[in-house]
Amino acid sequence: MWNSNLLREETRRHFFGRAAASTGSLGLGSMALQSLMDQEAGAAAKNELVNNPLAPKPTHFAPKAKNVIFLFMAGGPSQLEMFEHKPKLAELNGKPIPDSFIEGKRFAFMDSSHRINLLGSRRSFKQHGQSGAWVSDLLPWTAEIVDEISIVKTLQADLFNHAPAKLFMNTGSGQFGRPSIGSWVTYGIGSECDDLPGFVVLQSGPRGPRGGAVLWGSGMLPSTYQGVPLRNQGDPILNLSTPQSVSPDQQRQLVDVVNQLNQERLRQTGDGEIATRINAYEMAYRMQTSAPELMDISDEDQETLDLYGIKDPNESTYARNCLLSRRLIERGVRFVQLYDTNWDHHGGPTETLEKHLPSKCKDIDQPSAALVKDLKRRGLLDDTIVIWGGEFGRTPMGEVRQNTGRNHHIDAFTMWLAGGGFKPGQVYGETDDFGFEPVENSVHVHDLHATLLHQLGLDHERLTVRFQGRDFRLTDVHGKVVTDLLA
Amino acid sequence: MKKFLNVLVVLLLLQFSQGQRLDAEDTVDFSQDILPLLAENCFACHGFDAEAREADLRLDTLDGATGGDAGGGVVVAGDAGSSELVDRLWSDDPDLVMPPPETGKSLSKTQRDLISKWIDEGASYDSHWAFVAPKRPELPASINAAGSEHPIDRFVQHRLAAIGLDAAPSADPSTLIRRVSLDLIGLPPEPQEVADFVKDWAVDSEKAWERLVDRLLESEHYGERWGRWWLDQARYADSNGYSIDAPRSIWKYRDWVVDALNRDLPFDQFTIEQLAGDLLPNATTSQKVATGFHRNTQINQEGGIDKEQFRIDSVFDRVGTTGTVWLGLTVGCAQCHDHKFDPISQKEFYQLFAFFNNQDEPSIKVYPPGTDLDALTARRDDLKDQMNKRFKDVEKTLQKWEEGLGETQKKDLGGNLTKVLAKEASKRSFDDKAILLTEAPDLLNDNQRKSFQALRDEYADVNRKINDVPTTMVFSERKEPRKTTVYVKGDFTRPSEEVAPGTLSILHEFDGDHDSVNRLDLARWIVEPNNPMTARVVVNRVWQQYFGVGIVATENDFGLVGARPTHPELLDWLAVEWVQSGWSLKKIHRLIVSSHTYQQTSQMLPSMSAALGVDADNRYLWRQNRLRLDAELVRDVALTASGLLSRKKGGPPVYPPIPDGVMGQGQVRRSWSVSKGEDRYRRGLYTFVYRGTPPPSLKVFDAPEGFSSCTRRTRSNTPLQSLTLMNDSAFFEFAENLAQIVEKEGLETAFQRCTSRQPNETELSLLRGLDKLTVARALLNLDETITRE
Repeated sequence: MWNSNLLREETRRHFFGRAAASTGSLGLGSMALQSLMDQEAGAAAKNELVNNPLAPKPTHFAPKAKNVIFLFMAGGPSQLEMFEHKPKLAELNGKPIPDSFIEGKRFAFMDSSHRINLLGSRRSFKQHGQSGAWVSDLLPWTAEIVDEISIVKTLQADLFNHAPAKLFMNTGSGQFGRPSIGSWVTYGIGSECDDLPGFVVLQSGPRGPRGGAVLWGSGMLPSTYQGVPLRNQGDPILNLSTPQSVSPDQQRQLVDVVNQLNQERLRQTGDGEIATRINAYEMAYRMQTSAPELMDISDEDQETLDLYGIKDPNESTYARNCLLSRRLIERGVRFVQLYDTNWDHHGGPTETLEKHLPSKCKDIDQPSAALVKDLKRRGLLDDTIVIWGGEFGRTPMGEVRQNTGRNHHIDAFTMWLAGGGFKPGQVYGETDDFGFEPVENSVHVHDLHATLLHQLGLDHERLTVRFQGRDFRLTDVHGKVVTDLLA
Repeated sequence: MKKFLNVLVVLLLLQFSQGQRLDAEDTVDFSQDILPLLAENCFACHGFDAEAREADLRLDTLDGATGGDAGGGVVVAGDAGSSELVDRLWSDDPDLVMPPPETGKSLSKTQRDLISKWIDEGASYDSHWAFVAPKRPELPASINAAGSEHPIDRFVQHRLAAIGLDAAPSADPSTLIRRVSLDLIGLPPEPQEVADFVKDWAVDSEKAWERLVDRLLESEHYGERWGRWWLDQARYADSNGYSIDAPRSIWKYRDWVVDALNRDLPFDQFTIEQLAGDLLPNATTSQKVATGFHRNTQINQEGGIDKEQFRIDSVFDRVGTTGTVWLGLTVGCAQCHDHKFDPISQKEFYQLFAFFNNQDEPSIKVYPPGTDLDALTARRDDLKDQMNKRFKDVEKTLQKWEEGLGETQKKDLGGNLTKVLAKEASKRSFDDKAILLTEAPDLLNDNQRKSFQALRDEYADVNRKINDVPTTMVFSERKEPRKTTVYVKGDFTRPSEEVAPGTLSILHEFDGDHDSVNRLDLARWIVEPNNPMTARVVVNRVWQQYFGVGIVATENDFGLVGARPTHPELLDWLAVEWVQSGWSLKKIHRLIVSSHTYQQTSQMLPSMSAALGVDADNRYLWRQNRLRLDAELVRDVALTASGLLSRKKGGPPVYPPIPDGVMGQGQVRRSWSVSKGEDRYRRGLYTFVYRGTPPPSLKVFDAPEGFSSCTRRTRSNTPLQSLTLMNDSAFFEFAENLAQIVEKEGLETAFQRCTSRQPNETELSLLRGLDKLTVARALLNLDETITRE
C-alpha cells in the first residue's frame, strides 16, 4: 500500500491499461477503468493511478493543510540579526566563547577564517504583537505579522557545508539521490492541478542555489514528482513554447495526430502506458497555455502589487515570486518552493552583516509578510503552510574576513511557519544566552519534516519507497511530530 | 458494459486472492516462504544486529528461535501449538502481539498459517538461497512437441505450464529486427536492413536471426549500447558534483568500458581491471584507466570543508557501490550498524572499507596507442640541447647587438622581441631565447634561421605530444597504508576498533592470510567461480535489460528482504553457463536473444485474457514487454530516423544544443558552447553530463546523474517528456530533417525510419493531408518511436 513497491505500481498500471484497451475503444476503456477504480474504493489499489500519477490521492488521515510554500533563504540567514535578541551576547562582544560550548565541535572554515570570539548584534530589537515576539529593525514588515506565524528558534541540522546542508533541509539526507520534500508531498497526496506541475520551484537572487537541481529532484521516486523550475527568462518551463516557425493550429494538429496515432497503437498493442502518454500530451498542450497565463500578472490590481512591493510587474524579483506562489496555489499546485540566494554573510567583501544582510532583508521582508496577509484575506492560509528559513543559521561567534561576519551554525537557528494548522502568534523553543544551543524544545529538521507531512495528512513513517532493498522515507529513521507547534 | 466490468472484477479478485505463491506445494520451503516473512517483519528487532536486538531473542538462527540445547525459545520445532511465536503472532492483545502495532507491520492470516505449518514440519532453517553457490540444474523437458528446445525456453515454458499458461507467438520479423537492434546496439535498423531481413527470415528464420545477431554483436555500436548499461552502475558523469560541480576529465574511462565490451573482455578480467588494474603486475595504461570505475565519486570543492570528511564519504560510496554492483547486497547498510536483515556486520563493512582506504587519487595522461614516451622525451632533450648550443653560439653576437640598441629602438622592434629585451639576460627563459634567435634581425643568416626554426618547430611538436594529451582519473595504491577503524555510527570523527582488510563471512572463503593483502585480492575474490553472488547478480541485470524486470526483481538486493527469483533454476543455469563459458557477455546476449522467450510478441492478444488473471505483471513471461527507450536512445533513434546521426566513436564529451538558461541553475554558471560539425549529432552516450545540471532532454527521460550507482532506471511517462519531443530545439531540428525525407522519399519511408514497419491504412489516412513538418514531428513523437516493442 503506502509501503508501495513502485515496480508493482508500474506494472499494475500496465495491467489496467491493458484491460481497458481490450474493449477496443479508448473512451469506453477509460470509463470502465474509472468505474472500476470507484468500485474498488478503499482498496489498496486506489492509490495506483491509471493514467495520471499526479492525480489527488487519499491521505493517511484527515489533513489540516494541502499546500506548502517554502521560502528558502539560501546561504543561511543570521537569526542573531533578525529574531534572536541576545543582550548577553552584546555584553560579552569580543570575548571568547567558553570552551564548554565548542569542545569537540566542528565548524566550516576551521582551517581559515573561523573564530571563537563572540559577536554581539548591532541591530535593535523590539517586541511585537500580542505574542510579544522579538524582531529586529531589519524586518519591519515581518514584525507586523508575528501574530500570524509560529517562530521556531531551535531548529537543528546535521551538516554545516552549504550543498550537503541544503540537501539535508530538502531531503532529510546529505546524500545526493534522495527525493526532496516537494517530491514526497506530490508522491504522497498528488496535485489538484491538471495543467501545471504539482511541484514548482521559483528562484531569485544573483545565482542558482548551491547544489542546484538536486534540491528539487525526485531521487528514487519517478521523475513525475520532481520539482519543475518556473524560469524568469525565456520559457517559464523548459520547451514550453511552440517552435517559432510553427503556428498554433499546427501545434494543435500535432497533438491531435500524435494522440490519434497513439490510440491506434494502443488498440494494436493493448499497452496502458500509451494511454498515460496520450494524457501526458494533453496536459503538455494545456501547460503551453496555462503557464504563460500564470506568469502574466497584469490581471492583478495595483493594491495587490503594492502589498507585495512590486514596482515593475515584469521584473523578476523575490516579490514577484511571492505573488506567483499565491497564483500557483490558487491553481491547485501542491508545493511551491522559492529560493532566494546570497544569504551567506561571512564578512567577505560582498557578504557583510552591516550592508549586505540589510539589503537582503529589504528584498524579502515586505513580500514574505504580504504573502501571508494575501493568503489570509483570500481564505487560502488555512489550507496552506508557509515556511521561511534557510539551510542553517549563523554562529554567535564572529568570523573575520575583510569584515566581520558569522560562520555557519547548525545547533540552533530560526525558521517561521504560518497557516496550515500551525499555531499562530507563537514563539517556540529557547536558546542559551548566546543563541548557541537550545535550552528547551529543540526541533530537528527531521521533526520539522515529520510535522509538515503530518499537517498534510501523511504519516512520515508510512510514506516510504522501496529502493535498493530498503524502505526510504523523508525522515530516515528519525523525526517526531512537534504537536506543540500545532493549533 | 456491465458484463465487461464484472469480468474484470472477477479477474481482479482472482489476482488479489492469489496467496504468496502461485502454486501451493505440499511442504513449506524455509528459504522461499518463511525467511522473507521473518526478515521483513521480525529481524529489525530480532535479527542479526546485536545492538538493536530486543528481549535477547534472535529469529535468524535455529538456535536463537528454539533456545538451542537449553530450550526456552519461542519456537518448539514440530509443535506450533506450543510455540510462543505462534501465540504472539495471533494475539489480540496489543501489548503482546507481534510484530508490535507501532511498527506498522503485520502478517496476513495466510502468512501466519504458513509459519505454523513450517514449525509443525520441523522448523528447519536452511541457508538463504542466494548465499549458496549455484549448481547447474537439469534442463526441464520440453513441454510438448511444439515447445522450444532452447534451454531458456524450457525453463520458462515449464514454469508457464505449471500455472496453466502458454508462451505467446513470435513477434513479426520487422518488430524483431528493430527490437534486437535497439537491444544490442541501441540504434534502429535502416529500412533497407529491415527489408533484407524480412526476406531472409522468410527463407530460413533461424539462419537469418543468427546472421543478424552476429552482425550486431560485431558492430562497434554494441559497446556504446551496453557501455551505458555499465556506466550507469559505475555512476559515470563528467563533473565533480556537489555545489561547485566543476568539469572533470574521465571520458577515457568511458571509452575503456566501450572498448572492453566490444572486444568481449571476459567479465572476471573486466572486474579485476576496474577494481585493481593498477595493482596488476606491469599494469598497462589501459588497466590503469580502468580503475576510473571508483573515481566516479563526487568531489566537494566548496569552501570551508573538511577534506578528509569527503574523502571518507567517497570511500563509503566505493564500498557500497562494490557491494551493490558485484554482490547484489546492500552492504552500505552496515556503515552505521550491523545490517538489519542480512548477516553483514558493521565490522565487515570496515574490513571492506580497508581495501578502499589506501589509495591516492591522481589523474594520469593517456597517450595514443603506440606512443613511445621514452623516445619522445629523449628526442625533446636532444632538441633542447641542440637549441641551447645555438644560443651559446650566438651569445656574444647577441650581447653586442643588444648593447647597440637604444630604448626607442627596442620599443620599435615591437611584439615579443620588445618584451624579451626588457628582461635581464640572465632572467630570460628558454622560450625567450628561442624568440630572440628567430626574430632578432641579422642575428642568423637565412640558412641558420631556417635550420633553427626547424628545430624549434619540432621541439614544439614533441612537447605537444608529451604534454598535450587527455588525462583521466585513476587509483594508485599508497606505499604506507592508512589505518582503518570502525567508525561508531558511521561517523568519521568517532574511530574505534582497528580492522584489517577482509570480506563478508557469509560468502565464500577469502584467502587474506598474506601481509600485503590489497584490492587485487578483493577483485579476485569477487570473481572466484564459487562466489554465489556475482554471476547471478550480473546475469540478472543483463536479463533485466531485455525484459524490463530481472528474474530477481530487486536487482540490487539479493539479500533476505530482496525479491525471490521467479525462475530460480533458470537464474542458476544462466549463471553457471556464463562462468563456465569464460564469462563472455556476448555469449550470454546471444543465448538470450535466440530464445523464443525473448522473441515473443509484446502485444496483448485476445487469447491472453486468462494470463492477465493469473499473472497480470507478466512476471512469468507469457509474452514480451514493451519498454520505453532509455534517454540516450530516445535521442539516438530520432537522430537515426532523421538521417543526422554521427557514428563517430569515443573522445571527449560533446555539447549538443540545450535550451537557454539551463546552465544558470547551479551555484556556478557553467558554459555550454554548442559543438560544431558532426559533434552536434553524436549519440546520447557522448553528451557532457554535469551532475548538478544534467542535460534536460536526458534527465526528463530518467537518465541518472551519476550521484550514486544506478542498477535500474525508472521509466516515467510525463508531460515534460511530451514538451521535449514536441518543442525542444534539438528535436525540432531532427524533425526538420525528417520533413525533407518525407518530401523526398515519401511518408511511408519516414514512418519506417521511425518504427521499422509499414504504416497501416488508418495511420496513413491520419497523416495524409498534414504538412510535411507536422508529419515529421508527429512521427518523432509517437509512443512507438520511443519504445522497444
